Amino acid sequence: MKKLSLSSVIIYSILFLLSISVLIPILNILAMSLSDPLKVHELKGLDILPKGFSLINYEILLSNPLILRSLFNTIFITVAGTALNLFLTAMAAYVLARTDFVGKKLVMLLLIVIMVFEPGMIPEYLLVKDLGLLDTYASLILYKAINVYYLFILMRFFGDVPESIIEAARIDGAGHFRIFTRIMLPLSKPALATLGLFYGVYHWNEYFRATIYLTDPNKWPLQVVLRQFVVERDNTAMLGQLAGGSYEQIKNLDFASLQSGTIMISIVPLLILYPLILKYYAKGALEGGVKD
Amino acid sequence: MKIKAALSRIRKDWVIYLMLLPAIAYFVIFNIVPLIGMKLAFQDYRIIGDNQWVGLKHFKVLFSSPAFFDVLKNTIIISTMKMIFIFPIPIILSLMINEVRVGPFRKYVQSVVYLPHFLSWVVIAGIWISFLNPADGGINVIRNFFQMPSVDFITSKEHIRWVLVFSEMWRTAGWDSILYLAAIMKISPSLYEAARIDGASSVQQMRYITLPELTGTIVTVFILNLGFFMNAGFDQVFNLINDSVISVIDILDTYVYRIGILNGQYAYATAASLFKGVIGVVLILGTHFISKKISGKGVW
Repeated sequence: MKKLSLSSVIIYSILFLLSISVLIPILNILAMSLSDPLKVHELKGLDILPKGFSLINYEILLSNPLILRSLFNTIFITVAGTALNLFLTAMAAYVLARTDFVGKKLVMLLLIVIMVFEPGMIPEYLLVKDLGLLDTYASLILYKAINVYYLFILMRFFGDVPESIIEAARIDGAGHFRIFTRIMLPLSKPALATLGLFYGVYHWNEYFRATIYLTDPNKWPLQVVLRQFVVERDNTAMLGQLAGGSYEQIKNLDFASLQSGTIMISIVPLLILYPLILKYYAKGALEGGVKD
Repeated sequence: MKIKAALSRIRKDWVIYLMLLPAIAYFVIFNIVPLIGMKLAFQDYRIIGDNQWVGLKHFKVLFSSPAFFDVLKNTIIISTMKMIFIFPIPIILSLMINEVRVGPFRKYVQSVVYLPHFLSWVVIAGIWISFLNPADGGINVIRNFFQMPSVDFITSKEHIRWVLVFSEMWRTAGWDSILYLAAIMKISPSLYEAARIDGASSVQQMRYITLPELTGTIVTVFILNLGFFMNAGFDQVFNLINDSVISVIDILDTYVYRIGILNGQYAYATAASLFKGVIGVVLILGTHFISKKISGKGVW
């Protein structure tokens, strides 16, 4: 057993402190959301255990139609968006990685141009407006339907599938589409899972385009509601929806705790998926050298 | 003859083109059309009918507007602060993580420091506003413990830029260390073996083997970051900005958002964002070629 040197004691301590500094602010929010509203004023900024225990904040939030509706919107946009992302990215990646055709160089040039030059937010907004997509889910589902960086990652993965497998299918008379759906997709499950998480996290966290494209609160994703409530400190939408709440609920309102609860609702799905994300996403990032 | 051969190949490969069609159509509509749409910077926007060409009119207004220079100054200051104080952190972090034996503690540290990368800036702003709360937020609890008065960081002009630096560090330092950690993993173990036989301490190994081997990655990441220099972190500022501090953290992108999306001055806002885009491309190409000349290492 190697003796612990002074330098490794220092390194272990610093790393431990860093991890604590990441965790405490998050755990404090969790503790606030779970505290008894009558005791939450005793909770200080470094506390990570709730004062008393109550699920009242979550009861209020999860019976709020605005929150429920936005949660549903986020789930819908994330699932539909990710499915479309994966299908389009995979099909393009197959063609670009495994076939040779007239004009391929031109397509690759197009990809580079797209990667280097990013259009500003105004032309994008005007495009969405001109397409009549303002105030539609489609505006969010279609945006970044193919991310060029992810396309390159998948192309590299498809490129590594042994030619002999494809050759065998071709001899059996399979066309490109059949090879793509019957061979490439099943063989690439880990890569597709990784990209699915890349895209899924993007859709789940998206708020800015939703803010400028959607004016109808019924279509807002959770992040927009969260932003209005937590960042802009605008309680009106929440209050309006609370009018139907019981006296008990309204009496016990603590807005900071409700805000904490809303934050937690928006990150709990990420926390549940986090082990998977670490397994695939971190691995993908290691291999692809992705930085977004 | 050559054209004829190409045509017959295209006819034979129709399935390939059909499979590629959705992607191409998508790229043209959602990437190329708005890219061409940047021409609006040289036009006047019309709701009905064609836009009218006005040459450099918007740029002239832009470059004679004090507001524009204020946001330009803020952008440069904030980006420079982030460059200086955040850029080295993931490198140091990866070197430290590398010193930790593979096991539960290492796994714990990595899982925790990567986490904030997955939270949106809306969520992080919410967490930080609470943590920096002047009444009983965590930072002020610590300050009070050391007999220092509470500070309302979020509305303080003196502190808000540091809030940007530290919250960005909080979010990205862990995740960005992955790139360096991956590069460290690729260093041949025989180098360390030889150094140990020669009696090199672990600090010396870090200084004379790990760091030099990391130079390529560091240069690449630095140049790529420079490409985002003029962004200065739109999502972050957008969620932390408030009336008290707008004069010190209003950046180009928040300015474009305000005059473009909120005030509807589409053409003028596009001119500002085109200016930003051009600087970004110049920065990334410039450093790429300089770095290639000096060290032979560029991005591509």
